[in-house]
Amino acid sequence: MEPILDVKNLTKTFITEGKSPFKALDQVDFQLYPGETLGIVGESGSGKSTLAKAVTRLINVTEGSINLCGRDITHAKGRELRSAYREVQMVFQSPVTSFDPRRTLGDGIGESLRNSGLSKAETKEKVFHLLEECGLPAEFAARYPHEVSGGQCQRAAIARALAIKPRILICDEATSALDVTVQQQIMELLEKLREEEKLSYLFICHNLALVQNFCDRLLVMYAGRIVEEGTPDEVIMHPKDEYTKKLIEAVFQ
Amino acid sequence: MSQGKNVTVRKQKIKKKHIKARLAFFLFLTVLLLLTVIFAEQICPYDPNAQDNSLSLQPPSFAHPAGTDRFGRDMLSRIIVGLRTSVASTLTLVAIITIVGTAAGVLCSYFGGIADAVVMRISDVCLAFPGLVFAMAIAALLNGGISSAVFALAVISWPKYARIARSQTLAQKNTDYISAARLAGGNSLQIIIKHILPNSMGPVLVTSMLDIGTMLMELAGLSFLGLGAQPPTAELGNMMSGGRSMLQTYPWVIIGPGIAIFAAVVIFNLLGDTIRDYMDPRNTKSRQV
Repeated sequence: MEPILDVKNLTKTFITEGKSPFKALDQVDFQLYPGETLGIVGESGSGKSTLAKAVTRLINVTEGSINLCGRDITHAKGRELRSAYREVQMVFQSPVTSFDPRRTLGDGIGESLRNSGLSKAETKEKVFHLLEECGLPAEFAARYPHEVSGGQCQRAAIARALAIKPRILICDEATSALDVTVQQQIMELLEKLREEEKLSYLFICHNLALVQNFCDRLLVMYAGRIVEEGTPDEVIMHPKDEYTKKLIEAVFQ
Repeated sequence: MSQGKNVTVRKQKIKKKHIKARLAFFLFLTVLLLLTVIFAEQICPYDPNAQDNSLSLQPPSFAHPAGTDRFGRDMLSRIIVGLRTSVASTLTLVAIITIVGTAAGVLCSYFGGIADAVVMRISDVCLAFPGLVFAMAIAALLNGGISSAVFALAVISWPKYARIARSQTLAQKNTDYISAARLAGGNSLQIIIKHILPNSMGPVLVTSMLDIGTMLMELAGLSFLGLGAQPPTAELGNMMSGGRSMLQTYPWVIIGPGIAIFAAVVIFNLLGDTIRDYMDPRNTKSRQV
């Protein structure tokens, strides 16, 4: 099967004047197949979020290539890049700050639809539908991000990501800022959407228990490199890498 | 414990009410001033440029409440029309520097790179000169008239706005909602207009409100030095300049326009101050309840 996301040798080096260059991503290499859920775990600063940003080209990459649905988007710009965003969307860690504080949730959710040329009325209709799909009443479209709870806001963020029917959804610690029960609800929502929308997930997380149940395959990152790859059970039960062992010990001791 | 908290809440409410009352009062004064300026021609009792040498340098009387000047022109009419020239050009000036400064700051910090470095160094150069002296030099190079004074002051004042807008944009540029807007397929212009500008305008607008008074004074200052409006145009600065040799003998010729400048500056400054207090989040918490 052809991968829908093929990342090869991805390297991102941050250069700060007066400091030695810092490799946030070092030759990262992975594939995401249609319908698959790929988990990425690792400690803070291991490069998970940088990877998410590099894959979506929110930051420029230093080396390597990103192939999305058969198109090379490593150096795509402007219109080409914007059309690539029809295939891949992202849910951010902090739900409230991922919405513009001066615009309503409905505006945020409908933005991609408006940008793709839908009329105001059509967008409104779709936004209501999306909110409902994500378990929120339609009147939330008129609310501001600071007026709703974190869990509700994250549902809205998922609705926003789904608006233009992407094939890949990147969840960058999408449940980390939520408390445990709300986390569970969001996971159920993501699972439901996986079946209904045939989504592929790139699921970035540091909660190993969550990843074990949710993901088909797991990547362990450390210091910008992928140190281990395999099914969740393999990785968690029989870790090969030193770092993975430490990571698992820290959770399950 | 709870009583102490109640007291604080009450204090905040009183303060808030106080600010609202102040805001209403200064808004009223500003509207009054603007109405005077807009309807200057209809309000002024005499033709401000009609000379009558038989009436020259009359002290204030019922017929001429602010006296007459050297050429027998009615001072009150000239003050009203002069106020219009001063206020209109000040508002134009503030609008120009707000728009130019904000545009430069936002665009430079959003796109970064060489343009950012170049524009910010130019603004450093502008900031490094002593403001009014630099403005005088520029105004003197141009052909005179109120528009060259406006231009000169615009050249020295835009960097402040560029700096504020730039820092506001930098703070937002890497936030998640800007990332989300990019993922939503918005191009840079859409993102700047829909997200960055609305979230940066607060501090910029407060600064421009606070600057109106200062700019009015500097513009009048340039005119006083003969680098702004040229006679016979009535403008507060050059009216004062024309009367300065008669301060001891015919003081009303210089005191009238002086009071007008004073009043306008005080009104605009206090309005700016009050708006700043009103927008201060420490005072607005009770509004969100």
